[in-house]
Amino acid sequence: MHMANELLSIPVAAGTLAIAAGSLGFICRKVRQVVAADKLALMGILGAFVFAAQMVNFQLPAMPGTSGHMVGAVLLAIILGPHLAAIVISSVVIVQCLIFQDGGLLALGCNIINIGLVPSYLGYFLYRTITNGKFSSLKVYIGSMLACVIAMEAGAILVAIQATLSGVLAVPLPTFLITMIGVHFLVGFVEGLVTVTVLAYLQQLRPDIVADSLPGTVRLSKNAVLATLGILAVITGAGLSLLASDLPDGLEWSYAERPDEPGFETVVSNPDSRITAVDEFQSKYSLMPDYSARASKLGDVADRQADIGAGWTSFAGVVGSAVTMAVIWLTAWMLRRKQAL
Amino acid sequence: MHHAHIDKFAYQDSTIHRLDSRVKFLVVLVFTAVVISLPRSSLSILACYAIGPFAVLVWAGIPLKFVFKQILLVSPFVIVLALSCPLYDRTPVAVSFGPFSWQSSLGWLRCFVILGKFIVTMLALIGLVSTTRFSDLLAGLQKLGMPRLLVIQLGFLYRYIFVLIDRAHHIMRARAGRKLRNLGFKTELRTAASMLGSLFIRSIDTAEHISIAMQARGFDGNWRTLSKLKVRRCDLFFALTAAVFMSGLYFFVKPILQ
Repeated sequence: MHMANELLSIPVAAGTLAIAAGSLGFICRKVRQVVAADKLALMGILGAFVFAAQMVNFQLPAMPGTSGHMVGAVLLAIILGPHLAAIVISSVVIVQCLIFQDGGLLALGCNIINIGLVPSYLGYFLYRTITNGKFSSLKVYIGSMLACVIAMEAGAILVAIQATLSGVLAVPLPTFLITMIGVHFLVGFVEGLVTVTVLAYLQQLRPDIVADSLPGTVRLSKNAVLATLGILAVITGAGLSLLASDLPDGLEWSYAERPDEPGFETVVSNPDSRITAVDEFQSKYSLMPDYSARASKLGDVADRQADIGAGWTSFAGVVGSAVTMAVIWLTAWMLRRKQAL
Repeated sequence: MHHAHIDKFAYQDSTIHRLDSRVKFLVVLVFTAVVISLPRSSLSILACYAIGPFAVLVWAGIPLKFVFKQILLVSPFVIVLALSCPLYDRTPVAVSFGPFSWQSSLGWLRCFVILGKFIVTMLALIGLVSTTRFSDLLAGLQKLGMPRLLVIQLGFLYRYIFVLIDRAHHIMRARAGRKLRNLGFKTELRTAASMLGSLFIRSIDTAEHISIAMQARGFDGNWRTLSKLKVRRCDLFFALTAAVFMSGLYFFVKPILQ
């Protein structure tokens, strides 16, 4: 099931249509120079394969009476490469919209982005980062599993974002987000299992396909991907962090503070002086307490909250993203070094 | 093999079928945009907007039972979304229809508006697809600026969908003929994977045969088509009628019905 027209407002629909059209046009132009004439038939057939593959279903373990089927997006990305896979899956989404009415005409841009563009590139990038170009069974399986789950989740989160930007949701956003993420985790998990098993099967029969030596696959420019991810992280950090609530989160709500109940006594009281000393040390020296700039007077909660400006929250979001990315990069580098030894 | 695909009515003949695909596509696109942008609490205006695609469908000779069955097939997600509205939005509002009036909640109103918009836009989309051959639609889209690679891809996709679906049916029938009981998830998964894998390998082999056949007939990478698309007077008349219909409803009828 793809997004229907009613989930979107006109500005969001027009914007996503423009983004999808622009990206597809760019990819097509770039690929046209590289793809030889004989790859045209292959791409078309694999698009039809995606359709046919969605019909092959199997019984799911926990739920009697339901059967699952694979979507096939990440499998294509792994085998064909991200650019060709993006085109093929986008064409599948277009045909599903036009011929099978699965998804509305205005939501076509969103559907192409959520199902075609983002999962292909994200899934491929994750797969490549984990397997690093060499075929080792365990790494391929972990890589494809992770790629499927995260690609599905990314698509689901984008749906929630687009619906929220359109102001259409009657359901509160957290509920919607949790439902979408939960359901798509299951879907992504099943998809990952099927992708991994299909890759294992193909590895036995036609290892040349899995080893990425299908002629005509386009090499991904790592810098372009990193730059795009970096820009996305900045936008997300700056933009979405402004929406973040400054009310206490669930954990804090349960034991520490409740703004709507002034007489609430903290559930946990730890008289250990060492813990309070560590707390004081941390609050004195942390760079951005409560995701904001440091107030002039240390230890004064009211002043600190009064100092929270939107600009600093965005800054905190961006810096947080940069630090997280640095940590991820460092971890990946260390894993690669360990593997090379 | 018999496929219940919506295209079967595209090969009939009527005035609507003979219209230029670009005009039809653009009209449906604008119509969908107008309907979706209607405010969320006007239900009766939707009935007026429904006249347009309804007229087109009837004139083109598409059986309405087929149309509504198709709409029902794709509606589950929208129904869930629509039903979530009355659950979360309970502001009371007074509704009146003719001589009847009763208290309802804003959520129910939004629910029915969502369903109504869905049905109306689906009517328009089905009207487009059942009256236009897919190859003509692709040619129209290419003239409107779709990248050539994507058009070729869609053409191949459409050509081979039903071939591959048939193959998948054969494989599933073979499995059903050999399966006596549920063998547990791991075996099911492995069977499904080998079915998918063999389908995949056969698809790649078919693609290789096709490209060899194309090259044997002189294909050199340039896709040459004979364009038969021409915008004629009846196309312009159709576009004008649609424009008058939509703007008339928007500017004159909507303020009255609000």
